[in-house]
Amino acid sequence: MRNFKTLAFAAGISFVGFAGQAFADPVCGMNTGEAASGAPIIVGGIHGNAAPGDFSASTDAAKAYFDCVNANGGINGRPIDYRVENDQWNPELAAQAAAKLVDDAGAVALVGNGSFMEMAVNSQTYVDKDIMVMASACAISECFETPNIVSTNQGPLPSNLGATQYAQEELGATNVACIGLNIPNNGPWSCKESISLMEARGGAGSMALLNPGAPDVNSALLEAIASGADTILMNLPAGLAIAVLKAAEEQDLRDAYNWIAPTPLYDLSVPAALGDYWDGAVYVNAELAPFSVNGPDAQNFLKVMDEFAQPDDPRDTFAQSGYLSATYFVKRMLEMDPADMDDRAKVSDAIRSISGYTSDLMCGPYYVGDAEFHMPNHAGYMTKIVDGGFEIIRECYEYDSAYFAPHIAIEKDLGLR
Amino acid sequence: MTRGTVLNAALYLGIMAAIVLLLGWGKPSKVLGLFFVSGLAVGSLYALGGIGLVVLYRATGVLNFANGAAGAAGAMTAWQLAQWSVWPPLTWLACILVALVISLAYGRFIAPLLAWREPVVKAVATLGFALIILGVVSFLWSDDPRSLTLPTDKVGVVVLGMRVTVTRLIVIVTSIALVIGIWAYLKHTAVGLQMRSLANDRDLSALIGVPILRVETIAWALSGVIAGFTGLMFGDLIRLEPTVITFMVIPSIAAAICGRLEHLSLVLLGGLSMGVIESLLTLSPVLKGVRPIAPFAIAALVLLWYQRGNRLTFGGGD
Repeated sequence: MRNFKTLAFAAGISFVGFAGQAFADPVCGMNTGEAASGAPIIVGGIHGNAAPGDFSASTDAAKAYFDCVNANGGINGRPIDYRVENDQWNPELAAQAAAKLVDDAGAVALVGNGSFMEMAVNSQTYVDKDIMVMASACAISECFETPNIVSTNQGPLPSNLGATQYAQEELGATNVACIGLNIPNNGPWSCKESISLMEARGGAGSMALLNPGAPDVNSALLEAIASGADTILMNLPAGLAIAVLKAAEEQDLRDAYNWIAPTPLYDLSVPAALGDYWDGAVYVNAELAPFSVNGPDAQNFLKVMDEFAQPDDPRDTFAQSGYLSATYFVKRMLEMDPADMDDRAKVSDAIRSISGYTSDLMCGPYYVGDAEFHMPNHAGYMTKIVDGGFEIIRECYEYDSAYFAPHIAIEKDLGLR
Repeated sequence: MTRGTVLNAALYLGIMAAIVLLLGWGKPSKVLGLFFVSGLAVGSLYALGGIGLVVLYRATGVLNFANGAAGAAGAMTAWQLAQWSVWPPLTWLACILVALVISLAYGRFIAPLLAWREPVVKAVATLGFALIILGVVSFLWSDDPRSLTLPTDKVGVVVLGMRVTVTRLIVIVTSIALVIGIWAYLKHTAVGLQMRSLANDRDLSALIGVPILRVETIAWALSGVIAGFTGLMFGDLIRLEPTVITFMVIPSIAAAICGRLEHLSLVLLGGLSMGVIESLLTLSPVLKGVRPIAPFAIAALVLLWYQRGNRLTFGGGD
């Protein structure tokens, strides 16, 4: 309950603040400890936040990092003026949000975007206006297969592949049924490659598509079972995946199938929502480092959030992803000639030339490149729901799919392999 | 029920059976059985929601779009109390109580202000109320994965190859019991007679001394209790998401329309058949994309059938 969480955080905030002081301050940008006071650099961000989902975690985290940068010297003394718009899952509002940020405000880049909607609506606008979008919470094909959007999160396609590959290699999966949303640029797009992976390895696969408007998930589960699958891949938002697992629990199907899922199920509230029945039986791919991998960036992320975010802003994967996009953007801006920072074309070129940035939050290097597609994050972890939490069962591994051939070619060109 | 109504119901059943056969043609009987029973389980929830709507509509003339939202508020309250380790039966009771209070508050304080307006105005007002409730619930409970579990989820029986939990059986049995109980209540009690009188002619009922406010308050309370129970069942069996539970009222309205907002047994029949057809559409590669519109397509066809030969006006009078 958000308000109760707020009250709890308010009660504990003094302790958290004290603890933050007692340990180390977050490291942000130039880290001078002096507030930036020059002319602001305008940066935008668009998220979707309305029923049925809130994708604002990534822009919340990006804002927290930018606030931290602004309190630590900014970009060569200039603060980042981060302006966030909400598309409310409405295509018209999504287009308006992009126009407001790109045309009216004159943003030099967009950072931390998270939406099901805005990338589909605005991807061509970003090309036309030559503005780069360093997105963080992407779930649709336009986010990964257009020239001006690059995301730190994987989205469903690679994460599905990671889960499927693990099931085939470790759980003996021979036939995977992918239950996805019946949205062409989401469900079919992301299920297809997992089916191809199974077929390439001598197995089989199918997809059962669920209409987002249909309240009942039972039929999709039954369809998946009727396909003859031995493994069920729940390529769904967490709420729907939980509904599928509850329907499966009703039928006592736990031991009859392998249950695998991409990142949306990697949410700390999921094990409790699923209950004891599913303990040790659900395998979840994690597109960024699991929370137990407590590297320097992971720790800095939490410090930034504690000091600069709202107490009830989520500290989840999308937030980590927003934080990462913001750190990479700031790093690149600091490498630029300060005289070019208001020139959108030069900022876009600078972003395209990003190569080989690393973080303990991501398995592989981050890069952009000048290409018609971008998917730098295609390696991850595999976890299992155990004892009310997630246990890492496979450390960083790269996903094996012909889909990544063009990405790997670019990585070779950039000298990352 | 008149002879015409019975014939209509028989015709409807025949058509539904034909559609079921058509959709299931060539499929193994075990698969067909699974989808059929699964559809019955969802359909019983549509029916339950529809019954709550019809009970209220018959007594007050209000088609209450806020029923689902009241159920959602109740279900979320039950979940919250469960998180605070409150004794489970109390959480279930709280669910029903919250929906009852919301329903009564609207019925007692807002509905009387619109008593003399057209049915469509009354219905749209409840839609606004539903959105307010949904807004408050979404503010209080952020968009996190949650689930609601009842002890009856653990026990089940196998029907046509599909395991049906006791919770689902409770929904089906409750729907049938409500149809019979409310029918008996309307037929054999003084308040029931007054409700029927109100449904027939509100103005005339007022003139002959029917205590309108009291009777309507009872109807709002009954509807609120059913909404709370439906919300609890929906949160457990389908999804504990306020938006999903709130808009569950839409297929419930389709079920209510099958009963012409009047006959509870036909609402039950309509709800169950809609669930079955919706489920069986999954078996058709061509038609499975239209599953969510199945209840409304059925309701539209039923409306067209009922109004054949009539000229309908916006206010509902012929």
